[in-house]
Amino acid sequence: MMKRIISFLILTGFLFSETRNWDAHSAYLLPQKRWEMGLFQPFRYGYSENLEYSVYPLWFFVLPNFSIKKPQNDLAGFTTATQYKLVYPTPFLNMIAKSGTMGIIPPEFQMPPMLGLSSTWLMSKNMGGLDLTLNGGIDVGIAFGELDTRSTVDLPLVYHRLGVYYNKWGIHSGADVQKNMTEKIGILADVDLRLLPGLKGNYSLEHKLLISWHKSENFRIMTGYKFVMGEYPYGSDMRLLPYIPMAEAWVPIIELQWGKSRK
Amino acid sequence: MKKFVSILGVLLILGCEPFVTEFPDTSDAVPYEATSKSNVSYTGGNIKVVTWNIRFGIARFPFFGDSCGDDVILDDDTIEQNMAAIADSLNAMDADIVLLQEVDVSSKRTGYMDQVQYLLDHTNLNYGCYASMWKADFIPSDGIGRINAGNAILSKYELTEAERIQLRLRTDQDGLTQYFYLRRNIIKAKIPELSQDGKDLFAINIHATAFATDDTKQQHIDKYVETLAEIHDVGALFVTGGDLNSVPPGSVTDFCESDMCDGEDYHTDEAEKYHKEGSYFENFEAEPDILLPLYNAYNSAIDSADANLPVHFTHGPSTSYEINDIKYDRKLDYLFTNGGWVDGISQTHQDAWELSDHLPVSAVLFAGDN
Repeated sequence: MMKRIISFLILTGFLFSETRNWDAHSAYLLPQKRWEMGLFQPFRYGYSENLEYSVYPLWFFVLPNFSIKKPQNDLAGFTTATQYKLVYPTPFLNMIAKSGTMGIIPPEFQMPPMLGLSSTWLMSKNMGGLDLTLNGGIDVGIAFGELDTRSTVDLPLVYHRLGVYYNKWGIHSGADVQKNMTEKIGILADVDLRLLPGLKGNYSLEHKLLISWHKSENFRIMTGYKFVMGEYPYGSDMRLLPYIPMAEAWVPIIELQWGKSRK
Repeated sequence: MKKFVSILGVLLILGCEPFVTEFPDTSDAVPYEATSKSNVSYTGGNIKVVTWNIRFGIARFPFFGDSCGDDVILDDDTIEQNMAAIADSLNAMDADIVLLQEVDVSSKRTGYMDQVQYLLDHTNLNYGCYASMWKADFIPSDGIGRINAGNAILSKYELTEAERIQLRLRTDQDGLTQYFYLRRNIIKAKIPELSQDGKDLFAINIHATAFATDDTKQQHIDKYVETLAEIHDVGALFVTGGDLNSVPPGSVTDFCESDMCDGEDYHTDEAEKYHKEGSYFENFEAEPDILLPLYNAYNSAIDSADANLPVHFTHGPSTSYEINDIKYDRKLDYLFTNGGWVDGISQTHQDAWELSDHLPVSAVLFAGDN
């Protein structure tokens, strides 16, 4: 009897897994055989009704990465899913550990083989016209060798993402709110928290706001900003992004995204 | 929409600090005080002054930027040990005024230690002021990362009117390099408690360009001389010095071969650069005598006749000892005053050679015996 109940729940979850276009951040999967990608977003593919995978294709050759999203059972009216990510940052980090221009990491440090694993629980629900997504998860960084703490890259967005390798683990959580203002125009706001308990520079809070224009099912443009604040080895800091150093000016994000459904 | 614009406006204010700080022509220097001050008050008498380029506490570390080394970041424990040794050395010298160059206050390369505060808290000096020459969120070269380094004046007595004076940037660099490069300065401050017979006493500290191949050094020394003249012409007193990155008149001017690293090539037609930057002191015709205006107008702690003696050499690249058995082979650090130095006790502290690639120079301003 118990086996039947469990099987029913799993099947129910599969049958009622929701799919949506342009919802990478949510618990909704891409419809089967649809792909989407953007200038700053990964290539995502709806492999089946129960599996979506994604990869940053250009980065893959120097920063191998892979992610899958799977639906889970609905919970309290929320559509849920889990997402698992795997990344191998070592080749890229060793490329930028060099002398001269674009030496981001001092050349005396060689990064050991490292593996980053991330597991996230996603919950999405439409509430009074607003699409709400909550997420939370755990990150693990495994270094197969000595990792010198002086090799950190103390920059917004980067420090806390790489911090998991120095701290070995971290947790993340966040909330997204999305609303279609018109048929073509939408707005997305999110807040994401990363915690690295015990690490010098142990948290970051990232917030972005994007306005999107959907030209069609196959193309959309987004613009907005990202704001990062956190604790770093040198103290607290905050930065509005994207920021152009030589111009000493913030410029809005311009993100172009494409999608297509295979027949 | 109004809310969105307001939020964006607030975030613009909070999150748009300059990535690289470019300084105005003049600005206030950053004031400092010791966490716990020593109980000292000036009751008259001579005033001891020291100048020292402390190489941001890395001692003889093979730093890529100023030696034949390839390394960038020293470990925190060694930095702490070096700074403790520098503090001990300063305490032993027991100066009233200390002029420091190459001090880090928040740099990745020195573990973000505020070295001005450290020295104030570990010496008998009570007050300080700081002028950054290199302040950036991130230098994308050689793994330098975040940097804030510059000049400081430390004193037992309160400093006022502390001012940072911007020096001309190098013009022998492309725009991108110049943007991320050093912005040298003069820092000056008044020390009211040390006024002499109604004359204000100023301390002025400079770290002139080291590697420029154009006339930047001439511009720096000219501005330095102008700044001193402004104080002198109003009848005030000053003590001044620093790392002028210039050799005394009559000195050897070519150190390219002694500073040459493995794989480098100079003084040949095939060489990419004929002379090594920072090792050649005839980049323009007047450079060998660039310090003459200072020697002619003011009193040098080390007389010009003695300035080229080995006993007064203050610098050698940190790896020169390992490569060529050279601890120091040129004088780049000076003290001057428009008052008078006490005869016979000006000193180049060559026993401190392990603590930096520059040596401290001390002298005593004559202000009447205690």
